[in-house]
Amino acid sequence: MKASENCVFVVEDDPSMRNALKNLLRSVGLEAQLFASAQEFLDADRPDLPSCLILDVRLPGLSGLDLQRELSAANIHIPIIFITAHGDIPMSVRAMKAGAVEFLTKPFRDQDLLDAIHQSLVQDRVRLQKQGEVRELQKRFDSLTSRERELLPLVVSGRSNKEIAAEIGTSEITVKVHRGHLMRKMQASSFADLLRMASDLKIPYTKV
Amino acid sequence: MRSLLPKDSALPTEAGLLRYDQRLMRIPHSATFRYGIAVLFVGAALGLSLVIRAALPDGFLIFFLSAVMLTGWFGRTGAGLFAVILSMLIVDYYFIPPYRAFVVELDELPYFLSFLFSAVVTSWLGSARRSAEEKQTAHLDELFEQTPEAIMLVDLRDRVLRVNKEFTHIFGYTLEEMSKRRSTELIVPAQFRAEAASARERLANGQNLNVETVRARKDGSPVIVSEVAFPVVANGKVIAYYVIFRDITETKRAQEELQKAQSELAHLSRITTMGELAASIAHEINQPIGAIVTNGNAAVRWLAQQPPQLEEAGEALECIVRDANRAADVIGRIRSLLKKNPTPMVHLDINEIIREVLLLTAYETNRRHITVTAELANQLPAVLGDRVQLQQVILNLTMNSLDAMSTITKQDRHLRISSSQLSDRIMVVVDDSGLGLDPQYSSSMFDAFFTTKDDGIGMGLTISRSIIEAHGGRLWAEQGSRKGASLRFTLPIASVAE
Repeated sequence: MKASENCVFVVEDDPSMRNALKNLLRSVGLEAQLFASAQEFLDADRPDLPSCLILDVRLPGLSGLDLQRELSAANIHIPIIFITAHGDIPMSVRAMKAGAVEFLTKPFRDQDLLDAIHQSLVQDRVRLQKQGEVRELQKRFDSLTSRERELLPLVVSGRSNKEIAAEIGTSEITVKVHRGHLMRKMQASSFADLLRMASDLKIPYTKV
Repeated sequence: MRSLLPKDSALPTEAGLLRYDQRLMRIPHSATFRYGIAVLFVGAALGLSLVIRAALPDGFLIFFLSAVMLTGWFGRTGAGLFAVILSMLIVDYYFIPPYRAFVVELDELPYFLSFLFSAVVTSWLGSARRSAEEKQTAHLDELFEQTPEAIMLVDLRDRVLRVNKEFTHIFGYTLEEMSKRRSTELIVPAQFRAEAASARERLANGQNLNVETVRARKDGSPVIVSEVAFPVVANGKVIAYYVIFRDITETKRAQEELQKAQSELAHLSRITTMGELAASIAHEINQPIGAIVTNGNAAVRWLAQQPPQLEEAGEALECIVRDANRAADVIGRIRSLLKKNPTPMVHLDINEIIREVLLLTAYETNRRHITVTAELANQLPAVLGDRVQLQQVILNLTMNSLDAMSTITKQDRHLRISSSQLSDRIMVVVDDSGLGLDPQYSSSMFDAFFTTKDDGIGMGLTISRSIIEAHGGRLWAEQGSRKGASLRFTLPIASVAE
């Protein structure tokens, strides 16, 4: 893992702990971005890189668990590793249920933290990839004409050109032409490929 | 006619008479009885009058008037008037000339009429007196029956003479059922029989009684009662006694609930305070420790690199030193915080504190069937200290003792708290009859966080010892003289400590 490809955020109010985390991460070649409060983190620009968040539970102002909720509400899906100096079971259960990757009690084993970071980054990379793909697909979808967009759900529902022609009130030949354009614009190599794209774009099927 | 006398009338008890009296008052007599009694009394008057006639020619007046009055009293108005008529006929026949004829000579008429008038008045007096008495008795009966407390009248042989409605309501027994057996056999649970016997003895000696005790209902369920009893005295002799019960089961239960809630609250607040304190200390200390461990790991990793990154490792080590100092500072701060609030030292009576603790733990000791003995020396000199802290120590030692006895049989659970003076110190000893000190733990029992209890936090004895030491005393544990553990502490007496 190279530093430039990843981004590890640390939100921790205790300066020496913050610094210690930075030291540890640097010693394994990870560059950490440090924040003293949840608000600071929310206000900062976050690069579009696989990232993870090391988050203290007890923070001044917005607590770690509050921040987790805010992020989730804002549809920001960054993997979170909680660290706390005094955690209890209900607290950790709450955090894990809300999707945290790990919940570590200080002092923790460095390997535990590093493993959690690694897992988070891998998870986030997959997510970003997927997100990028969907964004690209969306771009292609946006380039379709309204007729072609109308056609797409009917095509992926498995209807024949004839059926589609009857449904939208045109000739079978026209449907064939539109369908060709659709495949080309979406850069689909096969019908199966188009199906996958439609599913990624969450295009609903129409039942026969 | 029903027999008026009780079956065991052979026993010349006054209570027997009392019962006779009561039956007489209460049984509504039949017409046969009432008119029969008129015939009986008037007949007797005739007999007596005839006997003394020679000596006292006008003596019949007294006897007939008496007969009429008695009939009026026993047989009421109707029978009384019947007796008047009967007397009138007989007197006319035997004692008013012409004799042996139901005729009255003219010059005897005033004499006869005055007799008649006296007889009517006497009869009325008798029956009026009776009905007044009956009215009064009816009032008393009404009061007896309607009183919202259970009342029982018992003779000296423990036979029940009367019970009221509330008695039947509380205990489930009617008078009929109660009068068949001794009252103690029915309503006193076996374990209270001895106590009840001694109470009866005191009543027989003319003393009153006011106790809270347990009685049994007909269905066997226990009922907690407040029992007031007092003797019925006739002619200077105790002939029976009244026992008044009030069912206080609910009140008692509510009281116990309250007490329990209070002691739970006290316990909880102690635990919470300790828990919060522990949590905040843990947080304060864990921060620097977390940083130390993380920096330490970083240093190890810098050194493991090829070539070793000495400068980076050095920086991490510097951080470690700084954080370790910080952790030490946190501990120092906590210590000085505790020292900063010197507790006000006042003159205290250690016995009073012990009594307070025993009161606080009364619910627990009761619940756990523990017998408590307090042997508190008289006139102990005062100690100088903080009331709440010393109370905490004694409470803590007591609760430990109670817990230590949880595994042994109920009969063998004894808690003994004593206080005594040893020259210039006062010693308090808390002995239990538990399993005693485990030699395996004897050295660590005063260590912080050392506990053998599932729900313990292991701070009780540690804190107790530091409190006692702060008071200039000593706290230690010994093996009890027989069995169990003996926790002891000494405190200097006030004049020495000053």
